[in-house]
Amino acid sequence: MADLGAISLWIALALAAYSTVGSVAGKLRLSPALVESAQSAMYAAGLALLVATFSLVTAFINRDFEIAYVAAHSDLAMPNNLTWVAFYAGNEGSLLYISTVLAIISAIAIWRAPEKLKDALPYTTAVLMLTLTFFLAVMTVMANPFDKLPFVPLDGEGINPLLTHLGMFFHPPALMAGLIGITVPFAFATGALLAGKTGDEWVDAGRVWAILSWALLAGGLLLGSWWAYTILGWGGFWFWDPVEIAAFMPWLVLTAFIHSIMVQKRRGMFRMWNIILINVALGLALYGMFMNRGGSVPSVHSFGASTLGWVFLLFLAIGVAVPFAIFIWRYPLLKSARELDSMLSREAAFLVNNLLLLAIAFVSLWGTVYPLLSRLFADEEITVARPFYDQVNGPLMLGLIFLMGIGPLVPWRKASLSSLRKSLLPPAVVGLATVGILFSLGLHKDYALIAFGLSAVVTAGILLEWYRGTRSRHRGTGENYAIAFLHLIWANRPRYGGYIVHLSIVMLALGIVGTSFFSTKLDIVLSPGDSVAVGDYDVVFLGSVETLMSNRTEFTSTLEVYQGGKFLETLETTRAFYPSFNMASTRAAIRSTPVEDLFIVPSENLADGSVGFRILVNPLIWWMWVAGPVMLVGTVVALWPQKIRAPAPAPSRPRFAPGSRPSAA
Amino acid sequence: MRHLIPPHSPVKIATRALLPLGAILAVFVVFTLLAAAQTGVLHAQTPEPASQEGVFTEDQARKIDRMLMCPVCPAQTIDQSQVQIALQMRVIVRDMLADGKAQDDVLEFFVDRYGNDILAFPPKSGFNLVAWLLPAGGVAAALVAVFFIIRSMTRRGPVPAAARPAQDPGLISYLQLVDRHLDMTRGGPRPVDTSNQPGPGVELPGTGAPAPEES
Repeated sequence: MADLGAISLWIALALAAYSTVGSVAGKLRLSPALVESAQSAMYAAGLALLVATFSLVTAFINRDFEIAYVAAHSDLAMPNNLTWVAFYAGNEGSLLYISTVLAIISAIAIWRAPEKLKDALPYTTAVLMLTLTFFLAVMTVMANPFDKLPFVPLDGEGINPLLTHLGMFFHPPALMAGLIGITVPFAFATGALLAGKTGDEWVDAGRVWAILSWALLAGGLLLGSWWAYTILGWGGFWFWDPVEIAAFMPWLVLTAFIHSIMVQKRRGMFRMWNIILINVALGLALYGMFMNRGGSVPSVHSFGASTLGWVFLLFLAIGVAVPFAIFIWRYPLLKSARELDSMLSREAAFLVNNLLLLAIAFVSLWGTVYPLLSRLFADEEITVARPFYDQVNGPLMLGLIFLMGIGPLVPWRKASLSSLRKSLLPPAVVGLATVGILFSLGLHKDYALIAFGLSAVVTAGILLEWYRGTRSRHRGTGENYAIAFLHLIWANRPRYGGYIVHLSIVMLALGIVGTSFFSTKLDIVLSPGDSVAVGDYDVVFLGSVETLMSNRTEFTSTLEVYQGGKFLETLETTRAFYPSFNMASTRAAIRSTPVEDLFIVPSENLADGSVGFRILVNPLIWWMWVAGPVMLVGTVVALWPQKIRAPAPAPSRPRFAPGSRPSAA
Repeated sequence: MRHLIPPHSPVKIATRALLPLGAILAVFVVFTLLAAAQTGVLHAQTPEPASQEGVFTEDQARKIDRMLMCPVCPAQTIDQSQVQIALQMRVIVRDMLADGKAQDDVLEFFVDRYGNDILAFPPKSGFNLVAWLLPAGGVAAALVAVFFIIRSMTRRGPVPAAARPAQDPGLISYLQLVDRHLDMTRGGPRPVDTSNQPGPGVELPGTGAPAPEES
């Protein structure tokens, strides 16, 4: 299997390189045959990589310890379903995974590309295959997953215990796929630029693939947070860790891109801006992969560190410089089809939204780079961690939520002040009322008050839009409200899908604010029979059982939870110690409700049977994990293919009937 | 019809332009100040008034915990970490607060022993001010830049909007959508059911004003 895999890798490398050169040469020499063969080579490269993937999976399942990678990341005791995780537990496998994903999505993207992009496709193919060539070259030469050991060990070293969690089945692959997925919209943009198609031809394909990447990154980030929350044992989910930021930054820029591409799609504006955005997103994605592959900053997530990072840094430099050179070369052709009509317009709101998103991304980048700068220029070790990001990004994020509340209510082109007042007034009232109520209830943390108020504004704005649309449908067609609502959403999927995603962001904000400002923490050592009060819970520790397993010792502690004297539930939490890794992994006991989580994790098992516990009450965090599925639904709704229909028929009444509208200020 | 024609008097443009941006800027400034007050940027130099002899809340102590890195574990604060030294440091934090020490005294105590990288953020003094001022300045500059970009974009178009639709059939249908949307947000009479027709935010290919062909 090792040989089959290694050979497939080399074949894939040759095919990808041929496809890169062939597409460009075929395009330049006007040879459709050459272009076509280059495209076939791309499909074939995908097949070869599937064979390589299959080989590695088979090697894992057979525990073929002759292969160094298999020996390093699995052992005989590992259940077979963990092969999926072991596959990308190290650099070599991650690279194979990334390459295979890139090859497959490239093939689908090119295959499904719209006819109007035909001229640009060879360049798009070349960009995609050039990236694939890079990954394959790095893999075959520097980090080959099929390298053999000079001997066959009896057993492997086993899988990192922190990875044996359900979140790990999806979190790393989603993030890696999301990061590499940005190559596709980027390739469409760059292909269009190179071909001189500087209009809006690439926008549809770019938007769809950008949203896919965006959703993968969002899902990956959420799953990663969930993983950290349940297994890392400190009760938090996000620490502005460099590896988290690495995936967060491209996600932010993609968010900006997805919004601003709408403006280009509808209004033919922001053409240069969108190119810049997708270039920046790609640069940050490459930077993210550099950080993951042995970057320069310590992180709780980096488990595949190596010197590969510097090769990635080189590729990053190329990946930033060349696209911007192309952009500058094509700059004269990138003129907007029309001008901005007013400051008070959806377009202007999108610009500010983009600014805030980029600002957060920039602050995060600055935070990851600053320790290096300080080492270089001030010869001082400096840590940039959560307090910095909280202080600098916190207000920016609030600004973003504010904009999320008003942006969708501002019409395109130009809003009249009176119509704006009318549509903004109800959400504003709801927001202020929320703040007032919370304040009178005794919530006096101003930051949290603002966040809750703004969340209320967003929610009210969206629900009001839904209500108005549903009502008008109900009145117009006589459908009942439920049907009318579903039809409303279905008839206007990108718009309403976006609203659903906005709601999920509000849920995220609730969880973040709840845990950041209102969590209660208690570190305490309990002997069996002891009880302790946390928040309004009483926790009774019953005892701990020690179980010896083949590769670990598990301590399972049982606790009873009471509230106001009433028994609620018995919780179990485990702490496992892996002697071969000298590493402990914990599984927190979590009683989760929409109001708050009771989170109990054992941090230490003492010889006398007592256990050191960390007990937390985390308000509202439940909403964070619900936000994920909601976001997924919104994305699916927004992306669901919509039949292209003729423009709506003109209404018969005159457009500018006198008196039919309020006079603008 | 008035409001579809962009007003060209500079005063009008200025007031119209400044209003929303001023609002956004004001919001931003307010948020920044509140955030600063909340997290203690502004109070970094002045001693916290809260430290009356030995009276402190767990919230205050945890806030300090979150500002101190655990010296032996990578990328964790003493609030997160469970190792022995983090535990001891948490005890020291609480002891010092109980002695009536202010937040800055506690932080200084640890900086004296471990150096600046015990802090979870760059200290707000000397060279490290750069870490704080650059993002603030950058964001402020970008805001101003966007303001001017939007203003120049709105000023550049000398063609009155109302003069355009005659030549551009795509724009006509588009403007009709805009009108319908205005009606909707106005809550005005809706004789025709338009909710299954694309609203202004819809992404229907072909309904948006098509871009003129390049070259």
